[in-house]
Amino acid sequence: MRLAFPAFARKKGRSSLRPNTNLMENGVAHILIVDDEETILFAMGQYIMAQGCTVDTARELEEAQALLSNIRYHLVVADLRLSGIHGSEGLDLVAMVRECCPSTRVIVLTAYGSAEVQQEALHRGADAVLHKSMPLAEVAETAIKLLGCAA
Amino acid sequence: MTRLLNEILATDALTVVFQPVVEMIGEQLQLHMLECLTRGPSDTNAGRADVMFEYVRRKRVEPVVDRACILVGLHAAAQLPGNPHFSFNTHASTLGRDPDFPAALVAMADDVGIDPSRITIEIIEHSHGWDGVTFDRALRSLRSFGARIALDDVGLGHSNYQMMIDTHPQYLKIDRYFVHGAHADLDRRAVLDSIAQLGLKLGARVVAEGVEETRDLMPLTDAGIDLAQGYLFAKPLTAPELIASGWLQPIPAAPIEAKARPFAACPA
Repeated sequence: MRLAFPAFARKKGRSSLRPNTNLMENGVAHILIVDDEETILFAMGQYIMAQGCTVDTARELEEAQALLSNIRYHLVVADLRLSGIHGSEGLDLVAMVRECCPSTRVIVLTAYGSAEVQQEALHRGADAVLHKSMPLAEVAETAIKLLGCAA
Repeated sequence: MTRLLNEILATDALTVVFQPVVEMIGEQLQLHMLECLTRGPSDTNAGRADVMFEYVRRKRVEPVVDRACILVGLHAAAQLPGNPHFSFNTHASTLGRDPDFPAALVAMADDVGIDPSRITIEIIEHSHGWDGVTFDRALRSLRSFGARIALDDVGLGHSNYQMMIDTHPQYLKIDRYFVHGAHADLDRRAVLDSIAQLGLKLGARVVAEGVEETRDLMPLTDAGIDLAQGYLFAKPLTAPELIASGWLQPIPAAPIEAKARPFAACPA
């Protein structure tokens, strides 16, 4: 099966915040990205895969839930809003991850950075709430920090 | 957003494989029926059957997807020679929520020239919350058309004693959990024995699923279970693979003799 953590051993002298490009040496982190925008899924998926992780993607809440109930991920990166209807499916996903796989880390992305939403996501157990305008490199940095302390 | 659902239901997106259920007669193996399994588009998350059906249940669209799977399954089944018997997985919630399902099944079977008496509906379920009256009516209607009923995943979750009584199945399919490793596990053997006894008393034939090793055959024969399914005999095969495999030929065909060998190694 998949290799266990610690997958993100850091090389000496390297900033702990820099993406580690040698992940394959130590193990593979398996990451789920959930967003209803295809372009974001593609861009972020490519970027994270380039860091040496394996990536699954989902465009809907139910699709992500079906994956989560069958596959163990090290990290889930979820958009807060997945349908535009009630607009906070990302929070449901956070709750599900917390319940079914407590060791999985969760990053919630939101384009609407209201303090309440941020609080609610953290309250439900998200490890980080990031603004969607943030460059991919910074999202990846946060991801690697979280994966590093998942060990 | 139902993009994945649309991809699952898109024309030609679903692929069909058949897994033989074999009858062990002495040292002979004979095809009993073919379980018809459907896979979603391989380039999506629905390419994994477990993910696809979990998604379908979460979307609560079991009736739509079950019908689609049976439709493509029947079309693939109709291409096979030798009039074999087929089983199709159907959610209990489909039978309980879609009152037109039995008639639709028969119409679809009729379209491809398969008599309903060659069809078994394998009931799978993961949740409660369907209409019991519709469910009972569906089962009665399926039986009246000559179809048989099987209860899948017996021993797990909602495939419990209540379902045995509510569905009057002709087949009990024991989940692989109880079969795999039974040769060295008295607890598993106790469960196999008790389900075999239940089958006798309920008038249902018992099928052991997930048979992967020759040594797990002995607890089955000891319990009197003579129907089995699993990689030991055959993995799920596409229609061309199945035709090439020899399973569809009438006994005593050479490939079936060859496949009888692992069983022959096991004392009766």
